[in-house]
Amino acid sequence: MRARGSRPARLSAAALCTALAVSGCALVGPPYTARHPQPAANGRSGVISQPAPGGAPPSPSALSSASPQSVPGSANGAPPAVHYQLGPATQALVATARAQEQSGNYGFAAETLERALSIEPRNPLVWLALGRESLAAGNAAQADGMARKALYLASGDPATQAASWGLIAAALRAEGRNQEALAAEQRAAQLQVQ
Amino acid sequence: MLLVIGGGYVLYLDRLVTEQFRSLRWTLPARVYASPLQLYAGDPLTEAQLEHELHRLSYRHVAQLRGPGTYTAGAGQIAVVLRPAQFADRSRPAMLLRIGFGPAGVEQLTNAAGAQVPVARLDPLLIGSLFPSDGVDRIVVTPKQVPPLLPAALKAVEDRTFDTNWGIDPRGIVRAAWVDLRAGHIEEGGSTLTQELVRSYFLNDQRTFWRKIREAIMSVVLTEHFSKADIMNAYINEIFLGQDGNRSVHGFGLASEFYFGEPLDELDLPQIAMLVAIVRGPTYYDPRRVPKRVLARRNLVLKILARQGVVSRARAEAAMHAPLGVTTHASGAYYPAYLDLVRRTLSRDYPQKELTEAGLRIYTSLDPRVQEIAEQALDAQLHRLDPTHHYGAEHLQGAVVVTSPQTGDVLAIVGGRDADFDGFNRALDARRSIGSLVKPFVYLTALEGGQYTAASIIEDEPISVRLGPGRYWRPHNYSRIFHGPVPLVRALGDSLNAASVRLGMRVGLGPVTQTLQRFGLKHLPDEVPAMLLGASDLSPFEVAQLYNGIADGGFREPLRAVQAVVSADGKPLKAFPVRVTPIAPPADVYEDTTMMEQVLTHGTGQPSQAILPPGLVAAGKTGTSQRDRDSWFAGFTGSDLAVVWVGYDHNQPTGLPGALGALPVWSHIMASIGTLPLSMPPPQGLTDVWIDFMTGLQTTPACDPANAVQVAVPVGTQIAPMAGCGLLGGGE
Repeated sequence: MRARGSRPARLSAAALCTALAVSGCALVGPPYTARHPQPAANGRSGVISQPAPGGAPPSPSALSSASPQSVPGSANGAPPAVHYQLGPATQALVATARAQEQSGNYGFAAETLERALSIEPRNPLVWLALGRESLAAGNAAQADGMARKALYLASGDPATQAASWGLIAAALRAEGRNQEALAAEQRAAQLQVQ
Repeated sequence: MLLVIGGGYVLYLDRLVTEQFRSLRWTLPARVYASPLQLYAGDPLTEAQLEHELHRLSYRHVAQLRGPGTYTAGAGQIAVVLRPAQFADRSRPAMLLRIGFGPAGVEQLTNAAGAQVPVARLDPLLIGSLFPSDGVDRIVVTPKQVPPLLPAALKAVEDRTFDTNWGIDPRGIVRAAWVDLRAGHIEEGGSTLTQELVRSYFLNDQRTFWRKIREAIMSVVLTEHFSKADIMNAYINEIFLGQDGNRSVHGFGLASEFYFGEPLDELDLPQIAMLVAIVRGPTYYDPRRVPKRVLARRNLVLKILARQGVVSRARAEAAMHAPLGVTTHASGAYYPAYLDLVRRTLSRDYPQKELTEAGLRIYTSLDPRVQEIAEQALDAQLHRLDPTHHYGAEHLQGAVVVTSPQTGDVLAIVGGRDADFDGFNRALDARRSIGSLVKPFVYLTALEGGQYTAASIIEDEPISVRLGPGRYWRPHNYSRIFHGPVPLVRALGDSLNAASVRLGMRVGLGPVTQTLQRFGLKHLPDEVPAMLLGASDLSPFEVAQLYNGIADGGFREPLRAVQAVVSADGKPLKAFPVRVTPIAPPADVYEDTTMMEQVLTHGTGQPSQAILPPGLVAAGKTGTSQRDRDSWFAGFTGSDLAVVWVGYDHNQPTGLPGALGALPVWSHIMASIGTLPLSMPPPQGLTDVWIDFMTGLQTTPACDPANAVQVAVPVGTQIAPMAGCGLLGGGE
């Protein structure tokens, strides 16, 4: 009784794309025009520098072989690590925001970063920038929330995950939660080793 | 004696007029703006879409660029002279921007010097104003913003001796009387522009003899103390030029936006002539109501301008052939339901007076493209249902809320099927039973408890919940049949009530309530078993807040319509920045979301597949209240969330479950707004598996093409394999 036909095939394309965790996911290429650039919104910036997925995509079983504690990219056969970058437009906006922040205009800096967010809402680097701005403006709780969101979005990118833990640690320190900060720093350090 | 009293009165008026006019300051309603469209290389925006946006902002397509507000298009490039614009963070002078398009959208942006521009913004669309209860709305212009033709035309038509008279014109009065006598009706008024200004600014509208005297004295006084240029500018800003419901349009600056959607300094001869034509009586000469009458008077004005030598005869002739060119919509854009939310948001922080009189600039999250599509989708689908679904004379109603889950920005709000009607705002105020929309939170609570996964089996069998001594609740499924042991993904996907109540009773009403609270529910439901089937009454907006947290992977962003408030002189007053609060483990929310994806592919949301474009992976949930009184759908993609409600205002049964009433509206919105598919790799600790939707056995798409569904489960979850699929032992 259920709909038959293309859906499983389409799903497998999406799954493949998901498992690949690489740029574009052109496999799913929607035949309509999106309001956001495709790469940014699936969290995979079109300018991911690495890696050209030469071989076959990792199988789901390879993914499941990784234990929850292990870091993606570390286990044998785990998906190749990705590396987020900002697109040119968001890069320009983040640079503007940094200048505004340096001259003490935290409000304007936040607004500029939100413009970047409206272009690449799922890019963890934009959330990290926003979190750092929040911390500089003295809002540690927000910095923590944004860093945790960056961490969630940075799945598969150990470097960005490390940076996220680093910001979480800084936010916790700012709140005087030194024990938790230490633990966060250790997680950042573990990831940086990878 | 009389002379003394008279002299004293004149002195009194002298002082009154001088003081008031010197400190002349109009109260300015707050202006509300949509989110400006950002342009950048890599933007998947087509040439046609950009043109549509430029038209929305009343930019003119021209053969050669003239000035701000014009653009040229062709050969894969649009060149536009952007108007000067004030944004929340800064102002931008007019600038030339060239936008080069390729197959994937915008390829590059360059400025007049040919330098690359990384990112640029179109002007923010004015979407309305918050005017005071007297309804006076106005845009004040400086003399520099007034095209010289306007005062010249006003003088030629309304007050020929303006430059030399004493504020009154006795000969004009006589002449007008003579003209009117001959015509048999009032053709010329005889009042000078100064008198009109005095009447509008200082006096009420009574037409008494004494008021006439007072008006004359004050006009003379005004002329005595102030320059003609000041008086003309005051007139241009003061005068009444139209009515729009309870809002009255004052000043040529606003009239220009109101009738043409363009700033005053961009108007051409026929447009200026039309505004001058309606000065005499904006209600009698309403260009939207009686265009023929206005066209005739505009052409009369053009004739007078040619006769007086203000413009050449040839120019006037050419202008007479131009259409009125009035926009169909007042002010180009009118979103009362959204403005309503803006007003409510701000009334918490600002006294009414400051909102309506201080000239604040309010920047919102409204996306006009999304708003337009949401309005059209609701209207079209309800029209489709009208012939078969109406309750006597009462027609179905509906409401829509669209958000951007990552930021909590409210992109669109539709408060009813007549989106232009500024009345009952169902998106905010219609609190209706949410039915099964509550289920994803029940299942999430179960996942968070660690005892269940998307592949766990739950019994869809008769259940009897003891409510009290001798009182039992026996929920039924919508289909009235039970399905036996089913995986969680199916219990949610097919919205099975018996299975869901069983699950909810096992995890506990308290934990489910706490989940709802974390996701932002303010009015918590009574902790009774019926809450598991959505016995709570919520507005579409409240539902959107709840679902936003799921769509955002377990983070809560307060929904925001207002982003920033800026003072009349451009100083930032208040910002409403993005706020992020972690509220649930992302892995559990992710797992819940993979189940909600199957609602659309294999469950109650399947009809969406005929409307959604292939490849658009989305997740959501249908909701249907008792006896089909309320038809809901709440769902999201990788970049947008939409909540749709359909029902009758008086709560009669609709005969429409969520899938037949609200879902088509939702699907058409998602199919048209350019949204992105859900695609995130599973968070650490989860893995994607294929299971059979009916039985929960592990399977493969090749082995089980009809019912294989992909869900995320915790790594190490043991799932029994389906026989004959080569999956023995759970490995591949």
